Amino acid sequence: MQNNDELKLVLLIASIAMLMMAFFVIMFVMYYQKKKFEEEKKINDIEKNYNRLLLDTALNSEETERRRIAQDLHDDIGTMLSLTKLSLNQLSKLIVTSGDDKEDAIMKKSQSLVEETILHVRRITRDLVPTTLERFGLMEAIEEFIHKLEEDNNLVISFQSSTEEFPRQGQKLELTLYRIMQELVNNAIKHANCNKIDISLEIDEEIIGLRVTDNGVGFDPDKIKESNLAGLGLLGIESRLAIVNGTVQYEQPTQGGSSAIARIPVNPASGNKPEPLHPFRRERVNI
Amino acid sequence: MLETYFSYFKRQPLASIPVFLTLLPIFLIWRSKAYHERTFLILLIYLVFKFVLDFTMFEWASNQRNTVLFYNLSVPVRYVLTSCMYYYKLEYKQQKTWLIISMPVFVGFSVWDIVQTNPSLLDLHNHSMVLYSTTVESLLMLFWILLYFYNTIRALRIPNLLNYPFFWICSGLLLYYSSLLFIAPVLHYASKWEEWMDIGILYNVPYVFESVSIILFSIGISQYSDSSYAK
Ligand SMILES: Nc1ncnc2c1ncn2[C@@H]1O[C@H](COP(=O)(O)OP(=O)(O)O)[C@@H](O)[C@H]1O
Ligand SMILES: [Mg+2]
Repeated sequence: MQNNDELKLVLLIASIAMLMMAFFVIMFVMYYQKKKFEEEKKINDIEKNYNRLLLDTALNSEETERRRIAQDLHDDIGTMLSLTKLSLNQLSKLIVTSGDDKEDAIMKKSQSLVEETILHVRRITRDLVPTTLERFGLMEAIEEFIHKLEEDNNLVISFQSSTEEFPRQGQKLELTLYRIMQELVNNAIKHANCNKIDISLEIDEEIIGLRVTDNGVGFDPDKIKESNLAGLGLLGIESRLAIVNGTVQYEQPTQGGSSAIARIPVNPASGNKPEPLHPFRRERVNI
Repeated sequence: MLETYFSYFKRQPLASIPVFLTLLPIFLIWRSKAYHERTFLILLIYLVFKFVLDFTMFEWASNQRNTVLFYNLSVPVRYVLTSCMYYYKLEYKQQKTWLIISMPVFVGFSVWDIVQTNPSLLDLHNHSMVLYSTTVESLLMLFWILLYFYNTIRALRIPNLLNYPFFWICSGLLLYYSSLLFIAPVLHYASKWEEWMDIGILYNVPYVFESVSIILFSIGISQYSDSSYAK
């Protein structure tokens, strides 16, 4: 009889052991899945950071390239054009003294062409490198940009800012905002068929908001993204924002047109700039 | 002949269920063609072996004959087959080597155990169950299974354990051996043919354990698809 009780006890222990093992297995699965999940997240993060780095490098090299082109235009072609203008001036003096009307007219034409070319080259270099942005900051740069646009187009562009004195931001952030503003305004001019564009810049302790609104035909960003209509512009805005942790949101106001808001966390300029952005600084390459 | 089966089935329903339940994973392996994968092939061999053995024991038992000899012989075979699965699943060379070494050592040990517990081997009627082999087998198998679990969690290579067939097989084996570990020492005393101890319904508990592990095997095999191994 005692043996029987022992046997029962053993069976009880065995049952408990089995239940404990079952519990262990369940715990094991849970622990495993949790660990796996964490690791996947880690890998994801690494991948994301890596992508961001790639993008950053690409955009940086784009800016560097623009700078180089602008510099070449300014230094080489600009100088040559100035010399040409000088020579033409000397030549025109000779022609004036000889007193031939026809020659004089051709001379005048050439001179004005050269002058126009000089202006064009200057404009192109300034478009390539936003010097005002680097020297005076975002507000100045946007105002200058608007001013130039209003001259050439039949447009009303308004610009308001939440503060009188917009604090300087990190160089990359300012450039990002400027390029986004450029693209949004260019889009409005190109696609929206509008006659009024509003740009507003807001800043609080954490976020800078840039809003561009037009009164044109409007568009549905989701549809455009689906139907590979999205050009480089909208995609470029998103990749630029991804680098600085920003977001963009498109709205369709009830009164028509379209509105885009980009939000970026503030990142005030540090006192010592790592790389002073002088537009025409250049490392001389000796060939 | 069928009638004797039925009457035994009626008398010992829980003891008979695992015998026939074994057919389920066999069928599943056959149907999903899982035997193309080595571990499942071994599992299939093991299950078929177990079924044939169980069925013979069932047949003998329903004819009131002592089946312990079969059980004793099945212990080393069972160990070799199940541990063989882990030979393919363990990744480190050193662990594989130890596992390989453990096989002949254990077979030798269990043969020694059989001879030791049954001085007169030919007396089938009074054959009694091996004394140490089952315990040692359970310990060894638990060690290999837990080692495999440990490797798995270190490597973190399986996306979802619950879809991973071999994980279910491991769980089944783990539960089976963890209960067997405690039952084994007593079986030797409990199942002597002449002095059959009466512990009533509790006698069926080990069969329940066995059924649970077979069901876990089946779940695992039903998770099998060629793609889950096409790495
Ligand atoms: N302000 C807008 N009003 C109407 N449509 C717009 C506006 N901005 C963008 N779109 C639409 O989104 C499309 C994608 O713009 P974008 O990515 O800048 O490419 P791109 O300017 O090179 O065509 C445009 O082709 C246009 O159809
Ligand atoms: Mg565009």
